[in-house]
Amino acid sequence: MAQPPLLEIKDLGKRFPARAGREPPPWVIQGLSFAVRPGEFLTIIGPSGAGKSTLLNMIAQIDTVTAGEIVFDGQAVNSHDPRTLRPGVDRRIGYVTQDDNLLPWRTTIDNVLFPIEVQGRLNDQTRAHAEMLVRAVGLAGYERYYPHELSGGMRKRAALIRTLAYDPPMILMDEPFGAVDAQTRMQLQADLLKLWELGRKTIIFVTHDITEAIALGDRALVLSRQPARIAAEHAIPIPRPRNVQDIFALEGFAAIYERIRAAIQ
Amino acid sequence: MTELTAPTISETPALSRKWVILGGRVLLAVALLLAWEIGARSFGAIFFAPPLAVLARIGELAVSGKLVQDILATLRVSALGFVIACFAGVLLPFLLRRSPRVTDAVEPYIMATMGIPKYALAPWLILWFGIGDAPKLVVVVLMVFYIVFITTFAGIRAVDQRLINMARIAGASELVISREIIWKSLLPFFFTGLKVALPRAVSATIVGEFLVASEGIGHYIEHSRQVSDTVGVFAGIVIATTLVLAINAVVNVIERRALRWRPVEREMEL
Amino acid sequence: MTRWRTITDRLLVLVIILAAWQIGSAIVGPYWLSSPWAVTSRFVAQMLSGELIRQSGYTIWESVCGAVAGGVPAVLLPFLLRRHPLMVAILDPFMVGGYGAPKLAFAPLFILWFGIGIESKIALVASVVFFIVYFNTLAGVRALDPKLVQMAQIAGASERHVARHIVFPAAVPYIFAGLRIAVPYAIGGAIIAELISSNRGLGYLVQTGAMNFDTTSVFAAILAATLIVHGANWMVNASERVLLRWRPQTAVMVDAGD
Repeated sequence: MAQPPLLEIKDLGKRFPARAGREPPPWVIQGLSFAVRPGEFLTIIGPSGAGKSTLLNMIAQIDTVTAGEIVFDGQAVNSHDPRTLRPGVDRRIGYVTQDDNLLPWRTTIDNVLFPIEVQGRLNDQTRAHAEMLVRAVGLAGYERYYPHELSGGMRKRAALIRTLAYDPPMILMDEPFGAVDAQTRMQLQADLLKLWELGRKTIIFVTHDITEAIALGDRALVLSRQPARIAAEHAIPIPRPRNVQDIFALEGFAAIYERIRAAIQ
Repeated sequence: MTELTAPTISETPALSRKWVILGGRVLLAVALLLAWEIGARSFGAIFFAPPLAVLARIGELAVSGKLVQDILATLRVSALGFVIACFAGVLLPFLLRRSPRVTDAVEPYIMATMGIPKYALAPWLILWFGIGDAPKLVVVVLMVFYIVFITTFAGIRAVDQRLINMARIAGASELVISREIIWKSLLPFFFTGLKVALPRAVSATIVGEFLVASEGIGHYIEHSRQVSDTVGVFAGIVIATTLVLAINAVVNVIERRALRWRPVEREMEL
Repeated sequence: MTRWRTITDRLLVLVIILAAWQIGSAIVGPYWLSSPWAVTSRFVAQMLSGELIRQSGYTIWESVCGAVAGGVPAVLLPFLLRRHPLMVAILDPFMVGGYGAPKLAFAPLFILWFGIGIESKIALVASVVFFIVYFNTLAGVRALDPKLVQMAQIAGASERHVARHIVFPAAVPYIFAGLRIAVPYAIGGAIIAELISSNRGLGYLVQTGAMNFDTTSVFAAILAATLIVHGANWMVNASERVLLRWRPQTAVMVDAGD
């Protein structure tokens, strides 16, 4: 706890610009503050439309901040001007979005290698690391397939390891397992935890699924409805390594679940 | 005219269905050739050159070397014009992407000038440039430019912004984004434009050669017409059609290679 | 704010284009490049005298006749062949060949067959329009949802009802997509045939203008042709909007003029 936070959000606010001749739209996010420790797995739960994606977009610097401050690794990184945004903050913040955003003209392995390639770090070592990740999530044998030939779950895995492969210190995840069936989703969660145990990166994982937030996180933040603020904060003292299959049965799960559900309403 | 009554039972087994189609096509081809021959006999050789005479003429042209000379003359102008127009038609949208303000300002004029019938400029261009390749070249460039420009422009607008964001976060430079994301997203649009533009480039050259030329396929057709050499007109048209269809086939092959990553579209069987 | 900026930007570009054209004309001489002012006044004068209207009328009439002669069978054929997929398959390579063939290269042949009058122009325009509209209509007939046909049949619709009320409306957007490509092409085709050999029409005006080194008259004729192309596009779009009110906003199609 004595460690300085890796990311600090201070009194953050966001509202989108007004259309010509109209009242400015209401604040999406207002007075939002929290901090993330290095190596922490933070989950954020909020109702849909609560501005979760907007929050991550601002941290990833693909959207501007209207008020407040974002401090990453001791440096203020927020920007009010779209032209001075630095997406990914010099490759130190990775972002796994809701859509897999795989490049349709690249095969699985070439998609995974894309960030490494554009960063000019493609060598035997990084390639071997990427291949290890491909095997770790069960995509072995599908390296030469194009995205349209993969199932939804496989595409999610490919998008996930694309970000893990270039090893940014912090990774944002925006409901990355949103649009898959329950069985695949649980498998993807297990894969993610397994990979996280290997490197213990700092992760902010946004979801609207309470079970997912508890199963994955060290700590869960609950966002309020618009404008988004922190409604509640819950430590999740379930020991690791966790087994997502029978997380329900674990002692303490039900109590945390109930508290979070109450906080959302 | 052709009394083809192919069975229309849907239960026909796949293999025999294939043979029926193939047989039907051969029959139709033969029927068309026969109609051509009958046309030649009933209307007279001035209106309908007999197929065999046309074939013989193409053979003669091939032996004398004029065939290759004319094809090369036509392709030289089409290819050069095509390359210039593609270069400009692709580059301009990429430049306009940098400034929405300039795009807004010039767009209506590009759209307005697109409606100019480009061929109609040919007589004026001949005044300017004389009877060399230049007037034809300008017509070809104008024809192709608008097609390539419009498709590229539409393609750039259709690029998925989320893919660009993803690449930026991964640390890609603007140059890499142009090459890896925008250009690749653009390729299907570009090929659509290419498939329209390439045959039109050849057509434009041929029309240009009708109006002014001393060689080329178009010149051969028009010259034959003026001296009432019907066999020559037919031979020239057959050569031009074969040439354009061959070019289409080549573009299709290149497209399939370049766009292997796309889901396979349902193609016509056989 | 941005709206006004766009308008002033556009006006500025227009002024620059016209100024460059006028100055260019002054430098090289009206003999080579007519000035915008001269073209506009000639255009107005010839419109008032009726000359330009008459010549444009010929060109429009040729295009319309050709578009009807080529377009109507092109729309009907896929409907007639709807229940005969085997015939469509047999015809396919011939249609693809006809679609790909450089129809404009046939212009001298049509002149040989039909003379330098309106018939040869109609033939050329029809041959151009036919294949474009055929393939678009065919695509529309093929893209039809078979469930809609089944629904209609269950409801007791006859084959004719199905064609009229299900297949045709579903194919209309495709037919219009074809028309949007074919119409500028049709006008271009008519003008090309006139350029090659004719004694009337806008192509003829361009050709005689160039022969007499009268660039003003060449440009006035081209201006008229351009306006006709835009007018025709506008009419296609307007009638599409009326006919396709039930449809959500259509996507932008590639329609390069000739």
